[in-house]
Amino acid sequence: MAATIDIDGLVRVAEGAAPLVGVVANPVSARDIRRVIANASSLQIADRANIVLRVLASLRACGVADVLMMPEQGGIGRHIDRGLARACNLGETRFPNVHYLPMRVCGTVDDTRQATRAMVRAGVAAIVVLGGDGTHRAVAAHCGAVPIAGISTGTNNAFPDHGEPTIAGLAAGLAITGRVPAEVAFHYNKCIDVSINDGTVREIALIDVALVSEGYVGARALWRTENFRELYVTFADPAVIGMSAIAGLLEPVGRSESGGLMLRMAPPAESPIVVRAPIAPGLVASVGIKDWRRISHGVPIVPGVAAGSIALDGERELSFAERDSVVLTLRERAFRTVNVSGTMHYAAREGLLRSVNALLDAAEE
Amino acid sequence: MANNPFPLSREDLLKAYRTMRTIREFEERLHVDFAKGDIPGFVHLYAGEEASATGIMMHLKDNDRIASTHRGHGHGIAKGVDVRAMMAEIYGKTTGACRGKGGSMHIADLSKGMMGANGILGAGAPLACGAGLAAKFRGDGGVGISFVGDGASNQGMFLESLNLAAVWNLPVIFVVENNGYAESTSVEWAVACDSYVDRASGFGLPGVTVDGTDFFAVYEAAGEIIRRAREGGGPALLECEMVRFFGHFEGDAQTYRAKGEVEELRANRDCIKSFAERVIGAGVVKAEEFAAIDREVLDLIEDAVRSAKAAPLPTAQDLLTDVYVAY
Repeated sequence: MAATIDIDGLVRVAEGAAPLVGVVANPVSARDIRRVIANASSLQIADRANIVLRVLASLRACGVADVLMMPEQGGIGRHIDRGLARACNLGETRFPNVHYLPMRVCGTVDDTRQATRAMVRAGVAAIVVLGGDGTHRAVAAHCGAVPIAGISTGTNNAFPDHGEPTIAGLAAGLAITGRVPAEVAFHYNKCIDVSINDGTVREIALIDVALVSEGYVGARALWRTENFRELYVTFADPAVIGMSAIAGLLEPVGRSESGGLMLRMAPPAESPIVVRAPIAPGLVASVGIKDWRRISHGVPIVPGVAAGSIALDGERELSFAERDSVVLTLRERAFRTVNVSGTMHYAAREGLLRSVNALLDAAEE
Repeated sequence: MANNPFPLSREDLLKAYRTMRTIREFEERLHVDFAKGDIPGFVHLYAGEEASATGIMMHLKDNDRIASTHRGHGHGIAKGVDVRAMMAEIYGKTTGACRGKGGSMHIADLSKGMMGANGILGAGAPLACGAGLAAKFRGDGGVGISFVGDGASNQGMFLESLNLAAVWNLPVIFVVENNGYAESTSVEWAVACDSYVDRASGFGLPGVTVDGTDFFAVYEAAGEIIRRAREGGGPALLECEMVRFFGHFEGDAQTYRAKGEVEELRANRDCIKSFAERVIGAGVVKAEEFAAIDREVLDLIEDAVRSAKAAPLPTAQDLLTDVYVAY
């Protein structure tokens, strides 16, 4: 047995054993108003559990013996347990041991934050994240140097990969078991630090910070483009959905490129430029642009909007008034993610998932 | 007065607060009076869930119809049913909304679009479909709203209604008020598909989950869903994740709840408290204005109880009146 449970109830791996992997699967993502104001999908709970099982099988195939799971109340764990029990009944050994973190579940994003911190303390080599941009943001804020293997199960996901989870699991497994050099296996990512009133409130955004004139959080999503005022992005990609696409259709900035982009916006009827942008699944809307410019790493920016709300990665999270001082700062090399494509191509080149059938060789001789 | 950053006018913010406070005080008073043995029958209290009824009903008119649940006092008050008539009905008096013969679980007032609380779990959903079908035929832009709890969402009637509303593209909104417990059974043990949005997806309906203790989240999501239904966009499901301050029914010992659970919910997830803090914090309403409403509401509830107690009970001669309807 590679793992032991310590007095805190946390799993720890023995010296020299296969690394431990954390899994955060958020049951709450992909449930917001974009199902009504647009045509966003709803990934069913059973499908989310299925994704976790695919990742688990891949991790086991790479030698990972123990996984730490975030407990939740949304039903994902129950479906996983059924899947594991069925595999056990069938005598299959394709899954690692799954241990649930001993934590109190409150059913909010605090679960993700708490689980991430516990996983880091337990020494996980990577955290597999199933969720939208919001879930990834919550993990990135607390994972420190531990890399994230992200899988999209949310709504407007610009950040995580939309690829097959089996492959993400394989890449994560290969990356953390030391068979792929770190410079190939992992990417560094940018973020934007948001500070209100000298750090009284601190948040980060992985892709975008939007300042809108609505002064309340409400149903969170952004779709009333006439209320958009300022947008700050870590990368501007015309091939993703959401706020980053607006910037991407003006001046693309890559994920690994230095710097980001800042846009000043206004109602379309009052703007010199109007961009038709895919701001939500199935929703291509007119967005008014006054101007835009590049922003640099480490330079604090005070937005020109006096009051409204701040959306992080496409969802209103905070409201602010004239008396509040808001400062935004782009930060490079903020956290790491698994480079799925790079890792798999390296594995192919180096034959990491290939072996020679010795019996066949002997017979041919 | 500061700029109003909210999606409601100052007057509507005051109205929403008054509605939520009225529901809260109505239920708190019933909690006390039921324990004294003053009230016949059973009551199921809505305290803690006010933001759901109020955030939704602020978008409705009298010709929009709602089908409520066994926990229906909040829905009735938010839909505009007279508070004194509701209290008298619960006391079983002739001045009640149903002349004292319905009680807590059958309060109805069709003039306000309140088709009734309902003692049969899930039975409101087909009624809301009927209201939606009628509105569609009339072409008056009306909607039908069905409220169910997390437990009743397992009922066949509810699932059949999702199907009916989808295939007929009815202007119906299914509101699942998920307070975490079907009577005393946690949703974790009772709902196989785990998510109400998944349930809607199975019928091709959009489903949305909001924090039901956040008035503004409910208000904004409900506004979009109701507008869509009025304009022919069809049915949808809205899940409000909320909390219940009292037991399933009055007298419920609540042995299934964790120690300190209710105290923590009252301290940290009180929808009225968070609403007031935000609105006062934004400088749109002064604390004294809400305090004045609090006093007026207490007076109203006191008066409703006093007049309910003073009113006569139905007599044997009333037994068969209001039972049959001639068309």
